[in-house]
Amino acid sequence: MSRRALVHVYGWLLLTPAAILLVAFTHYPTVTTVVQSLFSTGSATRPSRFVGLDNYRFMLDDEVFWKVLWNNLWYALGTIPASIALAILMAVWVNRAIPARGLVRMAYFTPTVLPMIAVANIWLFFYTPDIGLIDQVLGAFGIPAHNWLGDPATVLGCIIVMTVWKEAGFFMIFYLAALQTLPPELEEAARVEGAGRWYFFRRVTFPLLMPTTLFVLINAVMNSFKLVDHLFILTKGGPDNASSLLLYYIYEVAFSFFDEAYAATLTVVLLGALAAIALAQFLLLERRIHYR
Amino acid sequence: MSDIRLERVTKRFGQTEVLHGIDLAAASGEFVVLLGPSGCGKSTMLRLVAGLESVTTGRVLIGGEDVTERSPAARRLSMVFQSYALFPHLDVAENIVFGLRVRRVAAADRAARLRRVAAMVGLAHLLDRKPAQLSGGQRQRVALARAIIAEHPICLMDEPLSNLDAKLRHEMRIEIRALQQSLGMTVVYVTHDQTEAMSMADRVMLMRDGRVEQVGTPDELYQRPATTFTAEFIGAPPMNILTPSGAGWAEREPDHAPLPAAASGARVGIRPEDIALADHGLPVRLHAADYLGADSIVTARVGDQEVVVRVPGRLRVRGGETAHLTWASEAVHAFDATSGRRIEASETQ
Repeated sequence: MSRRALVHVYGWLLLTPAAILLVAFTHYPTVTTVVQSLFSTGSATRPSRFVGLDNYRFMLDDEVFWKVLWNNLWYALGTIPASIALAILMAVWVNRAIPARGLVRMAYFTPTVLPMIAVANIWLFFYTPDIGLIDQVLGAFGIPAHNWLGDPATVLGCIIVMTVWKEAGFFMIFYLAALQTLPPELEEAARVEGAGRWYFFRRVTFPLLMPTTLFVLINAVMNSFKLVDHLFILTKGGPDNASSLLLYYIYEVAFSFFDEAYAATLTVVLLGALAAIALAQFLLLERRIHYR
Repeated sequence: MSDIRLERVTKRFGQTEVLHGIDLAAASGEFVVLLGPSGCGKSTMLRLVAGLESVTTGRVLIGGEDVTERSPAARRLSMVFQSYALFPHLDVAENIVFGLRVRRVAAADRAARLRRVAAMVGLAHLLDRKPAQLSGGQRQRVALARAIIAEHPICLMDEPLSNLDAKLRHEMRIEIRALQQSLGMTVVYVTHDQTEAMSMADRVMLMRDGRVEQVGTPDELYQRPATTFTAEFIGAPPMNILTPSGAGWAEREPDHAPLPAAASGARVGIRPEDIALADHGLPVRLHAADYLGADSIVTARVGDQEVVVRVPGRLRVRGGETAHLTWASEAVHAFDATSGRRIEASETQ
């Protein structure tokens, strides 16, 4: 074998372990999902057959699908900007010389470390009508008890609040790392020029954090479509699908209703939406970001 | 009025006192260099003048007003940082006018001042570049332009040239000095490089371990060093500080290598450029020679003491040759052996 060919063999050998994992657990399932979405769900009496886009047509007529899609949109809009803003705020705060800085940083990060199931159980206690923490506190001020998770009007808000609490600390770590790479002279130079804290943040810190923001934003969007564990504990998507999100609906369709083909269809839509969002973020934001 | 005065200033970080009661006076339009080895407190002192650090005790006055408690911005001064502190995401023009925007200077005025200053420091063709696309020297000019455009009467510079190569450093020295004089700025300039201090300063304040070692014009520091520390810090190569006793010194011919009367028990300092190789004088063994082009730096030994001599042209030294050193009597400085303080000529005779 020529030297050149050997180099190629060597390269492919190095790639093989990662390639096997990627193909086996990502690419192959993706392809079979797409294929499956074009077939009907088979049963003992009626075998699966090719139906073309019938599953997609059914989806467009499915009220629950539209409901969970809207829920997911509101959930994303409610969690992403809030958790990013909170993360930056906390990061800027704990980046300064404050007493017990390490302790404060740890406190902000704790929600991220906790397992989602445990977090959901804690918040379940907060939201419980009458005996829950929130009702107890509000009761002290004479405000009547409320079934926070049982009311379609408040349930999604409750879940958004919990998610923000959980995510902000995680994103804070990224911002904190980015802040620590900014040379302190920049702030001193701005101080000599008379720039206030807010002005400096707006014109210098925030633009320099943009690469981090893009990264966090993509993560946050993915998470908003990915997080389901808390729904199992808190609401099971109810009441009347008021807190159901796309992935939870897919889970229900696949493993409660056993409609695999329709679940595959929904999955393809979810993947497509995520890919589109990630692409849009890169294309729109990339040009306006300063990378060092 | 833009004179600066520090009165009995001390600075403490935690338990460590880094400045032990320092006085400084820089007259309006004066170029004052704070010189000293690293860790002597010169940068801290500059930051106290800027207001980036607050004094522990003492007062800072600018233009006769007490500004000790004022913010950096309220002191109406500019600062050039060692790292330049340019904003990496802003182009050159925005970096320069950053402070003008902060202070809401009108757009037309801003543009006019930018044009003028950019031309002054030779950046007119680079205004739309980002700092990362500039060379070290160009970044330095942006930092300078940002300091000048404010039109503040005072400019503080913290080792602004230490990241540049030797040739550029030489050019920028001349340029900064010319700018300072044409704009009439009061400049306080921190450096550990005595060449910068000697070539730019109206007055040099040499610092050591948080204290002032000596203040004076470059000429005074060179001609009449007050201590052996100053003597060894100013001049390249540094002054020879010798103890004129022991092996070798007995054979000295006093006519050709004169020493002050009080030299016994004192130490003497002689600059390498004031010593010549000759047939008579102090007998030494040559050790090595560094050829620098115009001259050579020769290392010689008398007993176990080393003497450095600057001789014109090229001198080849194989090592071990014997030679004689000679100098004029005016060239000899005498220092107290224990305190290191200068002994004046009048005291020695």
